[in-house]
Amino acid sequence: MADPLQATLKIGASGLEAQSTRLRVVSENLANAQSTATTSGGDPYTRKILSFEAEFDDALGANLVRAGNIEQPRPSFRLNHDPSHPAADANGYVKLPNVDILVELTDMREANRSYEANLQVVKQAREMIALTIDLLRST
Amino acid sequence: MGPLYLFSAVARHNQWLSVRQATIAGNIANANTKGFKALDVDPFEKVVDSARLAMAATHAAHIGVPAAAAAGPELRAAEAWEVTHSGNSVSLEQELIKSSEVGRAYRLNANVVKAFHRMLLASAKG
Amino acid sequence: MNIDPIGAATPGSTAAVAESPLATAGVGPPSVLGEAGRADFAGLLGQMLSSLAGALRAGEAASLAGLKGQVPVAGVVEAVMTAEQTLQGAIAVRDKVVAAYLELSRMQI
Repeated sequence: MADPLQATLKIGASGLEAQSTRLRVVSENLANAQSTATTSGGDPYTRKILSFEAEFDDALGANLVRAGNIEQPRPSFRLNHDPSHPAADANGYVKLPNVDILVELTDMREANRSYEANLQVVKQAREMIALTIDLLRST
Repeated sequence: MGPLYLFSAVARHNQWLSVRQATIAGNIANANTKGFKALDVDPFEKVVDSARLAMAATHAAHIGVPAAAAAGPELRAAEAWEVTHSGNSVSLEQELIKSSEVGRAYRLNANVVKAFHRMLLASAKG
Repeated sequence: MNIDPIGAATPGSTAAVAESPLATAGVGPPSVLGEAGRADFAGLLGQMLSSLAGALRAGEAASLAGLKGQVPVAGVVEAVMTAEQTLQGAIAVRDKVVAAYLELSRMQI
């Protein structure tokens, strides 16, 4: 490792970015928790899931993290009986998004916790670099 | 030659601490990555090589690159507190505890070096 | 610092400037005064200054490499601190050498 403390800053930054993306996906899910289709019998908003990938950087000699693809696993939509709805199908059922508010809120809390942990890493590395440079101060 | 040995020994320890901090950072960043196993470095005692330590600057013209930069500590799988069903073995609490421990040790080293440097300069002036 | 007492040193021979920044300077009282003694002092002083310059140059090189990002921060700091220690030691020895030379020159022949 050329300079491990510089590498630590970059790793922490990659973690912050990944968790921010995760938070964005969660908020998109939450905002669209009730978004039905506009056409009759169409599919509503489908829940999005973000996965992470470890990326080993040879120059740094350590693992960064990268937000992977946003997946939309094939869901089974909940059905709501509402014949007057514009998106109601032939039987009068409206498909609702497969977003569970509680699951999304929990994910949001987890993303927050991970974000703060990465922030702590960045602070720690910054403090160690400052200590090193401070050695050159005369007093 | 006393103080010179101390400085190079501390430099080596600081290099090891920095590599450990980078490893911990990699673990925390990948706390949600599927199948990721937490890593840690070899203990410092294993990495310290007295022969390499002798490569302290023997001439004033040597650029003081720490001897430890030549070969870093090996990474190995850490003892996991738990493994989730996604295969991820990173525990944020454990990693954060290790991180603050590393920071504390680094601060101690820096203060020790500062004190000895000051003493060295004072003894020369007197 | 292994500086031989001036009297024992042969003309032109210069003890190697030791690497340790702050080994004590063993400048003993001169027993022989003359051209040979003065030349030795000049040689010693020259060596002092060159070792001083060497330490400073090493610190400067490390700092420049640090600017370019080639050397980690810890390496630059260590090089600069070593340069500072070497400088301090060289200054102390230089002062002793100069003081001894002045005392020498004041001696009644």
